Amino acid sequence: MAIEVLIFYLLAGVAIAAAAGVVLARNPVHSAVSLVLSFINVAAIYVVLRAEFLAVAQIIVYTGAIIVLVLFVLMLVQQQDLPEFHGGRPLRRAVGFLLGLALLAEVAAAILTRSLRGAPGSWTPEAVAAVGGNIQAIGRELYSAYMLPIQATALLLLAATIGALFLARPELVEERLAVARRLFTISLAHPRGVDTLQPVAELPAPQDGQLKPAGGDRSLVMARTAEEFTEQPAWGESRR
Amino acid sequence: MSELTTAHFLFLSAALFIIGMVGVLTRRNVLIIFMCVELMLNAVNVTFIGFAWEQNALTGQIFALFVIAVAAAEAVIGLGIVMALSRRLDTVDIDEVRQLRE
Repeated sequence: MAIEVLIFYLLAGVAIAAAAGVVLARNPVHSAVSLVLSFINVAAIYVVLRAEFLAVAQIIVYTGAIIVLVLFVLMLVQQQDLPEFHGGRPLRRAVGFLLGLALLAEVAAAILTRSLRGAPGSWTPEAVAAVGGNIQAIGRELYSAYMLPIQATALLLLAATIGALFLARPELVEERLAVARRLFTISLAHPRGVDTLQPVAELPAPQDGQLKPAGGDRSLVMARTAEEFTEQPAWGESRR
Repeated sequence: MSELTTAHFLFLSAALFIIGMVGVLTRRNVLIIFMCVELMLNAVNVTFIGFAWEQNALTGQIFALFVIAVAAAEAVIGLGIVMALSRRLDTVDIDEVRQLRE
């Protein structure tokens, strides 16, 4: 058995085990670290496949940029203790595994019976070496035959940046009020009670500035001014 | 098999893709689902580069490059959506996000 086959099996085994770790790990940070391990092993397999530039790009973009983003978001979002993978939803888990096994069997059959092979291209290892290496060869191909796609990619990245800025901007007071009007009854601290149908004496004592009306399912938020209302943690507790 | 064939890489790619798919189907944390989608995109790259290696062509490598660029854009937007989601609904559990369903 050739040495490169052994190396391939080693790299592929670690990549697959790390990918399984992403799915099975309980802690999202462990999943992210497993993902890094998987990506680095796949990058090494790219080197075996004579794609040196993509191996480097993979490490810079995936393990450098995307994983850092994921870890930052993990740090910023509120983590709850989800019952997650190891508990609950056994039906969904079983269906997921069954679908996975079925697809694996189908793809394996397709790979083993593959008969269609295209005509070999002109970039043999000698031709790639003649222009100076993998990066030079990719550059020649990319900036001659793929001029329009690479400019479209630039546009896509610009649009993604603008979209990220839009999604991450601070929430406006008007938006918060619009959501709150849908969910709550806002009373700007009416001195005589909230409702003409309900006598003042029967109002329950407000708790944390909120009280429930007797019959309705909408919570009542008491505030003297609109600003006072928007400072309250109005949602979150109503959704949980 | 005593030497490397394209089938090796296709099987590796299929395994990675299906592990990612099972993760998307079974996990509930939005961030883990996002990581599994990245895993699936990466598996597709292995296929592209494996075929490029088999055919002595660079088209597969260039497509993999575009996939990496699209994955970066997708990561930025996806994580922005996760941030907005956690700020608005206070959760990263995908089962809690059902505004479109109801």
